[in-house]
Amino acid sequence: MSMEDYDFLFKIVLIGNAGVGKTCLVRRFTQGLFPPGQGATIGVDFMIKTVEINGEKVKLQIWDTAGQERFRSITQSYYRSANALILTYDITCEESFRCLPEWLREIEQYASNKVITVLVGNKIDLAERREVSQQRAEEFSEAQDMYYLETSAKESDNVEKLFLDLACRLISEARQNTLVNNVASPLPGEGKSISYLTCCNFN
Amino acid sequence: MADKLPSEFDVVVIGTGLPESIIAAACSRSGQSVLHVDSRSYYGGNWASFSFSGLLSWIKEYQEENNGEEWTAWQELILETEEGVALRKKDQTIQHVEVICYASQDSDEHVEEVGAVQKNPGSVTSASTNDPPDSMVTACSDTSELTTPLSEPEAAREVPDVDVTLGNENHGGDTDCSQSPLEQEKAGNLPVGEDVVDAPKKNRITYSQIVKEGRRFNIDLTSKLLYSRGLLIDLLIKSNVSRYAEFKNVTRILGYQEGNVLQVPCSRADVFNSKKLTMVEKRMLMKFLTFCLDYEQQPDEYKAYEECTFSEYLKTQKLTPNLQHFVLHSIAMTSEESTSTLDGLRETQNFLRCLGRYGNTPFLFPLYGQGELPQCFCRMCAVFGGTYCLSHAVQCLVVDKESGKCKAIIDHFGQRISAKYFIVEDSYLTEKTCSNVTYRQISRAVLITDQSVLKADSDQQISILTVPPVEPGSEAVRVVELCSSTMTCMKGTYLVHLTCPSSKKTAREDLESVVQKLFTPYAEAELENEELKKPNLLWALYFNMRDSSDISRECYNDLPSNVYVCCGPDGFLGNKNAVKQTGMYSCSMSSFWNSALPCAYKPTSGTTSSPKPSLILIFLLKFSQNTLDPSDTLLRNVFSRVLDLNSLSSATEMLWLFPPYLFSQGQHNSLHNRCLIKNC
Ligand SMILES: Cc1cc2nc3c(=O)[nH]c(=O)nc-3n(C[C@H](O)[C@H](O)[C@H](O)COP(=O)(O)OP(=O)(O)OC[C@H]3O[C@@H](n4cnc5c(N)ncnc54)[C@H](O)[C@@H]3O)c2cc1C
Ligand SMILES: Nc1nc2c(ncn2[C@@H]2O[C@H](COP(=O)(O)OP(=O)(O)O)[C@@H](O)[C@H]2O)c(=O)[nH]1
Ligand SMILES: [Mg+2]
Repeated sequence: MSMEDYDFLFKIVLIGNAGVGKTCLVRRFTQGLFPPGQGATIGVDFMIKTVEINGEKVKLQIWDTAGQERFRSITQSYYRSANALILTYDITCEESFRCLPEWLREIEQYASNKVITVLVGNKIDLAERREVSQQRAEEFSEAQDMYYLETSAKESDNVEKLFLDLACRLISEARQNTLVNNVASPLPGEGKSISYLTCCNFN
Repeated sequence: MADKLPSEFDVVVIGTGLPESIIAAACSRSGQSVLHVDSRSYYGGNWASFSFSGLLSWIKEYQEENNGEEWTAWQELILETEEGVALRKKDQTIQHVEVICYASQDSDEHVEEVGAVQKNPGSVTSASTNDPPDSMVTACSDTSELTTPLSEPEAAREVPDVDVTLGNENHGGDTDCSQSPLEQEKAGNLPVGEDVVDAPKKNRITYSQIVKEGRRFNIDLTSKLLYSRGLLIDLLIKSNVSRYAEFKNVTRILGYQEGNVLQVPCSRADVFNSKKLTMVEKRMLMKFLTFCLDYEQQPDEYKAYEECTFSEYLKTQKLTPNLQHFVLHSIAMTSEESTSTLDGLRETQNFLRCLGRYGNTPFLFPLYGQGELPQCFCRMCAVFGGTYCLSHAVQCLVVDKESGKCKAIIDHFGQRISAKYFIVEDSYLTEKTCSNVTYRQISRAVLITDQSVLKADSDQQISILTVPPVEPGSEAVRVVELCSSTMTCMKGTYLVHLTCPSSKKTAREDLESVVQKLFTPYAEAELENEELKKPNLLWALYFNMRDSSDISRECYNDLPSNVYVCCGPDGFLGNKNAVKQTGMYSCSMSSFWNSALPCAYKPTSGTTSSPKPSLILIFLLKFSQNTLDPSDTLLRNVFSRVLDLNSLSSATEMLWLFPPYLFSQGQHNSLHNRCLIKNC
């Protein structure tokens, strides 16, 4: 694990109501696919994509909800040590927008208070069925001090931008907190956790 | 949100404690469709961890009168050919809840936890979670007898500004002020001396600070540690569930002797560096411990004492009373009166073998608390398609009269959900089902203190301390002290868990004497004599929890054969019981799988047809519940071989390495490979 080739590793976590397109966004970004209306993805914990930003390799570990959002039963441990949260709603579904405050409360309680949150309105390819205006979402995101972006996982609109902008912000954030932040010391999300538990160091 | 649950699953699991969650993950991983529900709004049942406000709501819930309400609506919903086994509406596993606040309370202030939300235990059953916290404390069952919260205006004035987080206060203008919990966590991991907090002496922590910083607390209902070579660690690694959690090594083993808390040397380096031991003692201890590491090789050394207790055996060894005490209480952690020589040797060996895998003690503690673990298994289950529903109660099990099997549940909406197997946590069963069961009780105390029981260079220590029984017949008390870098308490405080089997009437009666030995109630704390002072007690909670472990299946009345019961947490330090009952041991029986049940797990080539995981499941469940045919000696023999420590490491392998036929090949291969690599 120590030999892995990257300068930064960040854990990004998606949340939002079921059906807003979280899984599709991840798939689109990591695999370039838009899977036709398929159920929950089975067996996938997180997806990884390494991107290069200004010559630096940034490994993004992107976690999906595993369907636990459907009945509002996301485990708290899902939020732990996330560096960024993508809070997603569906622009064609008023309900998914109205649930945002509920999601924000969960974030506030379980996520690190330094987490970067991005609000994403997905499915802009269905503009004719829009129920949530851009202005409303902008106002909301400003009030909550979040970045805001509209995307289409289907048409691949703004999906790259979403993750790359996020990666840039995470890098500059990491730089500010620097001192400890290099590959040698475990980055959040990676940590002592997995690698720690698996390498047996006999004294 | 009006999403409706599907009405058919392979397995329904009721309760999200550790054993249920492991089973749910295993079932889901081996291809079963799983519905996992919990009537509470949080994961973990009695294995849960809470923020401070969450814990206050939990307390409130258990202090409410139980009005004996039962589910009744289901009676209209079952057919004539069916029978209902009602489940419990309100949990009864927690008793004698008492709260005492020693820290000063600014009564005129209305404080609330930052970011406190509805998602805590109180939100479902009790009306309001927004009461001022003070009222929750005074709401405790027998207020009259309790120490009334002490008001200490002087101390209160010392706190400059309640709006400032404690961290900031302590750092002053330091750049560390802006640290996120993640960074703080890192800071906590830095070597001794890097730690930034040394404020407790200067600042007295008030109740309102605790409430305000309540989110920093993750308070375990059940206090356990993980043996670094134990089954649970094994399972976490094999299943890859370990990546959902982070752990810290326990840093110190402490002993209690003649009123003093001392550090117990246990690793080779510890023994040699110890200033407390004489050269002769060091040699004696090393010799004995070296022998214990492979005592089986030298049966002559202990054969004659097999009938004796371990403590008697220790007296015959060349060990000073000092050393005997530490080996008995702090290393083997066994009882003076009842542990046999062999058990004691085995425990000592287990301890020694666990040393050095991750650090200088054999134990690990999960960051954010024990409550993370069931959740991690639940995520694993969900990742493989399991459906999750918290705050979802079940009214009854529906049993088919003719076959005697359970065929469905009826949930609180009256929806009927059918399944082939049902796994129910003990606490959901009613008195009717459990009338023949006698439960033991565990006594628990949770304390918030301002200093460690044994001060050291670093204030970020995680310690386990065994306090031997005060009088013969009473029980040793296990104390686990957690520092803030475990992410279970706010900076400048320690979270102390006490556990012992209940012998008196209430947890407080069992544990208060030990609490008084180790801590000073905050009010009495004078500022004189800083050096000798015991840590101050800021807040204390006592309660009894039901121990439903080791109950044989026959004790439950009218349990259909396809309903399996999982027990709640036991009082032991390790998680052996929890893991063992999930039938994981059976998975190492590769020869059995290969010969008897090949079709059970080998996918038919070329097709995606399901490989009958139900067979595996039946087997696992029967096995874990001891309902396998007793005449099946082959199985019994294999089982007893599994208990051999050498094969324990492979014990859990089979289940997690079932061909992941649910993976669509190419895409998830890398994930699977990771699993394999991790198993090296
Ligand atoms: C008399 C006695 C009874 C105990 N009962 C329990 C209990 O019911 N639940 C509990 O969690 N802890 C119990 N303990 C403590 C327990 O032995 C372990 O220290 C602890 O549970 C470690 O669990 P683990 O899963 O991390 O370790 P593991 O790796 O599972 O095992 C630790 C040690 O226990 C031995 N062992 C494993 N299974 C059994 C078994 N079925 N019977 C006897 N020995 C076994 C192993 O060989 C090993 O030496 C008991 C200790 C004593 C002395
Ligand atoms: N038109 C359109 N449909 C989308 C888009 N993203 C997702 N969907 C569809 O929305 C549904 C739910 O998507 P999914 O990613 O599973 O949502 P999740 O529950 O949030 O993970 C699927 O039927 C997708 O095909 C999008 O950008 N445009
Ligand atoms: Mg999804």
